[in-house]
Amino acid sequence: MKKILLSFFIIACVVGQAYSQGRVISGKVTSTEDGSPLPGVNVLVKGSTIGTVTDADGAYSLSVPGESSTLAFSFIGFVTQEVEIGQRSVVDVQLQADVKQLSEVVVVGYGTQLKQDLTGNVATVKGDVLQNIPVPTFEQALQGRAAGVFIEAGNGKLGQGIKVRVRGSSSVSASNQPLYVIDGIPMTQSSQASTGGETNPLTDINPADIASLEILKDASASAIYGARAANGVVIITTKRGKAGKTKFNVGYQTGISEATGHREWLNTAEYVELFTESNGGLTNGLIRRFNRYGADPLALTTPSSNNTPHASWATPGAPGYVDTDWEDQVLRTGSMNQFDFSASGGNDKTKFFASASNTDQEGILLGNRFKRLSGRVNIDHQASDKLTLGMNFSLSRSLNYRLSDDNAFSTPMQIVALSPMTPVIDPRTNLISGVFNPETGLPNSNFPIYYNPLIDNEYNTRVTEVFRNFGSAYGSYKLTDKLTFRTEFAYDLLTQHEERFFAREASRNSGQPTGQSDDFWTQVFNYNTNTFLQYTNTFASVHSLEALAGMSYQESSNDFGSSQGIGFPSNSYRKNFSAATITAANAQATKYTFLSYFARANYKFNNKYLLSLSGRVDGSSRFGNNNRYGFFPAASVGWVLSEESFMSSIGAIEFFKLRASYGTVGNAEIGNFDQLGLYSSIPVAGVPGQRPTQIENPDLTWEQTTQLDVGIDFGLFNNRITGEIDYYSKKTTDLLLNVNLAGNTGFRTQTQNVGSLENKGFEVVLNTENLVGALRWTTSFNFARNRNKVLNLGGQLLQGDFLSVAKEGEPLGIFYGPKYAGVDPANGDALYFVINPDGTQSTTNDYNSATYQPIGDPNPDFIGGITNTFSYRGIDFTFLFQGVFGNQVYNGGGKFMSANGDFFDNQTRDQLRRWRNPGDITDVPEARLFGANGTGESSRYVSNAGYVRLKTVTLGYNLPSSMITRLKITNARIYVSAQNLLTFTDYEGWDPEVNADTYAGNNINQGIDFYSAPQAKTITFGINLGF
Amino acid sequence: MKHINKLLFLSLCLVIASCADNLEVAPVDTVNEKDALKTSADVEALVVGAYDAIGDGDLLGGNMLRDAELLADDGDLFWDGTFVAPGEIWTKDMQITNDQAENTWLDGYRTINTCNLVLANLNLVVDAKKQTVEGDAKFVRGLMYFELVRLYAKTWTDGNPASNPGLPLILAPTTVAGLEDSKKVTRASVQAVYQQIISDLTDAEGLLPEDNGFFANTYVVSAILSRVYLMQNNYADAAAAADRVIQSGSFALLSDYADNFNKTSAGAGSTTSSEDVFSIQVTDQDGVNNMNTFFASSDFSGRGDIYIEPAHFNRYESGDARLDVFYDDERTGKWNNQFGNVNIVRLSEMYLTRAEANFREGTSIGDTPLNDINTIRNRVGLADLGVLTIDDILNERLLELAFEGHLLHDLKRTQRSVGALSFDADELVFPIPQRERIINPGLTQNPGYGSN
Repeated sequence: MKKILLSFFIIACVVGQAYSQGRVISGKVTSTEDGSPLPGVNVLVKGSTIGTVTDADGAYSLSVPGESSTLAFSFIGFVTQEVEIGQRSVVDVQLQADVKQLSEVVVVGYGTQLKQDLTGNVATVKGDVLQNIPVPTFEQALQGRAAGVFIEAGNGKLGQGIKVRVRGSSSVSASNQPLYVIDGIPMTQSSQASTGGETNPLTDINPADIASLEILKDASASAIYGARAANGVVIITTKRGKAGKTKFNVGYQTGISEATGHREWLNTAEYVELFTESNGGLTNGLIRRFNRYGADPLALTTPSSNNTPHASWATPGAPGYVDTDWEDQVLRTGSMNQFDFSASGGNDKTKFFASASNTDQEGILLGNRFKRLSGRVNIDHQASDKLTLGMNFSLSRSLNYRLSDDNAFSTPMQIVALSPMTPVIDPRTNLISGVFNPETGLPNSNFPIYYNPLIDNEYNTRVTEVFRNFGSAYGSYKLTDKLTFRTEFAYDLLTQHEERFFAREASRNSGQPTGQSDDFWTQVFNYNTNTFLQYTNTFASVHSLEALAGMSYQESSNDFGSSQGIGFPSNSYRKNFSAATITAANAQATKYTFLSYFARANYKFNNKYLLSLSGRVDGSSRFGNNNRYGFFPAASVGWVLSEESFMSSIGAIEFFKLRASYGTVGNAEIGNFDQLGLYSSIPVAGVPGQRPTQIENPDLTWEQTTQLDVGIDFGLFNNRITGEIDYYSKKTTDLLLNVNLAGNTGFRTQTQNVGSLENKGFEVVLNTENLVGALRWTTSFNFARNRNKVLNLGGQLLQGDFLSVAKEGEPLGIFYGPKYAGVDPANGDALYFVINPDGTQSTTNDYNSATYQPIGDPNPDFIGGITNTFSYRGIDFTFLFQGVFGNQVYNGGGKFMSANGDFFDNQTRDQLRRWRNPGDITDVPEARLFGANGTGESSRYVSNAGYVRLKTVTLGYNLPSSMITRLKITNARIYVSAQNLLTFTDYEGWDPEVNADTYAGNNINQGIDFYSAPQAKTITFGINLGF
Repeated sequence: MKHINKLLFLSLCLVIASCADNLEVAPVDTVNEKDALKTSADVEALVVGAYDAIGDGDLLGGNMLRDAELLADDGDLFWDGTFVAPGEIWTKDMQITNDQAENTWLDGYRTINTCNLVLANLNLVVDAKKQTVEGDAKFVRGLMYFELVRLYAKTWTDGNPASNPGLPLILAPTTVAGLEDSKKVTRASVQAVYQQIISDLTDAEGLLPEDNGFFANTYVVSAILSRVYLMQNNYADAAAAADRVIQSGSFALLSDYADNFNKTSAGAGSTTSSEDVFSIQVTDQDGVNNMNTFFASSDFSGRGDIYIEPAHFNRYESGDARLDVFYDDERTGKWNNQFGNVNIVRLSEMYLTRAEANFREGTSIGDTPLNDINTIRNRVGLADLGVLTIDDILNERLLELAFEGHLLHDLKRTQRSVGALSFDADELVFPIPQRERIINPGLTQNPGYGSN
């Protein structure tokens, strides 16, 4: 009996065992996005520890115990899915990309963190957002997307310097640009231009190579970069390969662009009327002048007796009447063409990413063009289970056909000053007006009124060619499963060749009757090595610790050579080899180094309480021996309230985290030898000499910025609403300033650590998933306010250009000067306000007596952006509105172009409102030639320049897979995209987003318009194929 | 495994150790001031630096001469340029923010500081060169103070020079320790400034040799002294100084007036025309000729901002060879060479000075005034004058030295008006730059420049 029971038991067990040994379930996991297989997905039998991982083809096979019924599929970046097995033996699953922001991995300095564990403030922008946007450089694609990051392109020229401000301007003399780190190396980022305005070394990066961009904004996130982090840090991570079948992607886009704005100028009849009035009548002298501008042949042959009004301006509508719209001559329809290719793949040991791209953009300004060809290969290789190696290599070549800087007669927009009666083609020569005077055989010296920029475009060249090479290699070795050693070496090699040729026809502008050629070579070799240890461990399952310690060394050498020659036999000879005289030749070099040690510890208790500490010691060649090293610590804490029992019962709140950070960072972006007293070699006529050119400052030290940030991260309603709110306060002390010295010292300035300024503000980020069905609608909204205030400049008022100043108690760069009080109705005098000693206010027509006071602020009160994305089946539609509010712009060209006929520049049409008769009430003073009536720098030329722009609009369609799989294509998308499509503003200039490039090198100069070209609105059509 | 660990650790140490040295980076394009003044050659090079400083485009490289012509103009010129600062000077409506007034002041004191450095380091100079080095430094300093005081202060004959504010007198090099005090300097009186000028120039006259290449020699100093004495209406000393230059034998009038101009630098060792007493050297490698920039048309590489008006041509007698120097009926050809020297003193000025000073004193040092004037007239093809009046002398001076930077000073010292403005008008004096007064409110502003 016992035997039978035992047998039954055994059989039952065996049978039961056989039953519970269950079945083998297999299947394939793919992505809903593009149907591609997903390797590395965790497949878990729910309620057990039985699981596996999908292979390179996304396939898995798992022995599932009999009673189990559910498999859980999870993978980072995708929504976890639980699937009932039912009676199936093959379970295929499609995983959907997880758009919840909080489970993202965020790149921080020297490592990564999960967003939900972050105690600092980092804005992340994914690479796909930056792609397919028709701008030469990725910063322009970032506008309006990251809270608190203000990005401004100063004018519409291609490839020029772009201003980026993370939480306001933190310095007056040192750079205010954030530190850009690409794949671990702080890259060469400052303009290397010798001619024209600033250029932008960031244009050498192909935006399609960027996997993600992280902007480290607060002290906790950025202090790991120590002395260079005061303006925030932008970390650029390029794409890497993923194991799996090699994926190819090919894209092409093409489009056109136009200027975003135009201005109205006087026509010939109005011009004649206004200047006749301002001259006090149509005198013979004035007739001769108009005749000269109108290309009267007599103006060349018998200038002094040419008193008969010429047909070009005498009678409107008569034959020979000329009415040229000069602005129209330099603003044209631009175009862009771009071809992108990438390949990515690998197996579990070796992964690669390769890309190539070619872009060719013709700007909206005559003669402006930007071309870039780039290629990249990124490789990761797992040599053993402990050792990983990798390398990146990229090479790009860009060619920029450039223009003069804004304050040059040859810059295209200054053409608006030419008189409307001047014809585009001079009928006396059939050449562009100004090219040739048949009486002298040389270019005209006083016709048109100024040098004609069309001559520049026709005969001169200004080309900058840049070869940019980034190379890096890393090795990562697992000393134990908790301790990893990593070393990286990277270099950034920039080689730039700038050429500029002035033809004979341009001698009025160049001063060289037989031509001039300038040639500049620059090479910047910047290399960086990082070596550090990373430790990750979890103790007692509740204490989680990540620690990091290491060192970094960077050295950047800049070598420069140039030559200038004059006297070329004809325009066919353009290189200095052919110059009759070499008038200048130069060779220069400079260098700087940084040596740093850093450490960081991130501690997490029970997934609820977070603490982060970091410290960095930086030493640099830029600082004197007394103050060579600085220490930059930071600490931050976080409390994940949603993990607490009292909060987890509130269903609506999925995630809620409080965080605060405090730390110190520095700004070291100053000249390489500012602390030394220097002599320079100064010869006289071939006899060598020297004299002092800089006074020393042995006490020179870092600028220090201390920042406090408190914020909350939240996710509501199952994370359909997520967001962050931050308040921050940054105080910068020991500002490096070129302090004005009394002229009697023989020096203009001394670099000193004087003064302080602060930035305070708040940022709000809100991401909502409004509709999640077949029609998906998500919104991303960011909004920020920054209040900048200069606290202490040692009592100085630092002047920029025009009326821009740095003044204690005011934001940096306010306009400070006489306040315009309109026009005296009795006599047409321009009036200005005077604040009397007793505090009352009166007006005066004496510009010299007007009281200087704040009259405008170029810093915005608010900035923000809102992106809406819709997708339905294969159609996607996104639009981004970006806005800047509360800022003003100063028109530096106002005293020439809106000067009520003070001099013969063509005037803006609003000058027709000038005062004419006693009793007239108007804001434009009486027209008085050479009278300087109202032309002094004043609030007359300050305008409100807030704007809202429809920054980016994209409509795309993913062709259904049924259509394309036959062609072996995995996905195909066609799209139309527009940039800067609509602009809403009160600013009457060309474009409210402006800062003239001539002046942009000085932080005090903000919001200055000086014949600055408008931005471009672009529409492109494109196609992307993946296979 | 252990070996790899050790290797990594070792390389880490090596990297750290070698890197620390690399924080010492010396400048390559410039020299640390601690290394810059060690030898005699260093100080001699500093003298060249001083000449370069005074030859700056804002100073004797052109703008000081230009401004003396623009500020004194009453219809002989027409300014058609876009630069705001010279425009204000021409319309005699300078603002306190006029950037030429600022640059002239700053570059002027930069020159003075360089001279002070030379004089403070004379001990480093070898004996054979010491006198010339001292002489050069004192010449440049004296000349610089003279040019500045003529622009920024009331002229000697306007009111009381002992109480009129002149310039801060800085006679020692600037040090980092002295920066606080530098913000508190006050304007010494016009008289005190002239005393210093005469002291420096008299010393220099005694120290400099007869030939010093294209740098100043003893006769150049005498020529400048003759100007200083003229400004003070000290005609006796002016005549003697001018006479010394003429009697030296080192200079001679050219037979062709036009040949005086647009000369190029021949390098150290020779002057470029026998009539040239002193010029600022300009080459196509170095230096700038701002008279070319503003007076020459674009045919001659200038901006063409200044036109000569018919009113000026009406001053000449027909047959005057000086008319041949004009072109296009509206341009002066004295400054057509973009890389030409800037004439500062020509021998013919010495004849005119001697004639005027002799005439006013009733003396005939060197020669009679009538002979001197006729020498000048004959050279340009004009007949002798029979009887001389002071107006003849002043008129001959105006024509001979037209557009060479003399007009304002000649009008002021002879108390002649500029149009409706009297010689002592506030508008004919540069403002103390607002930039300086913000740093040092103790620098009194010149009258007529508002309360800012």
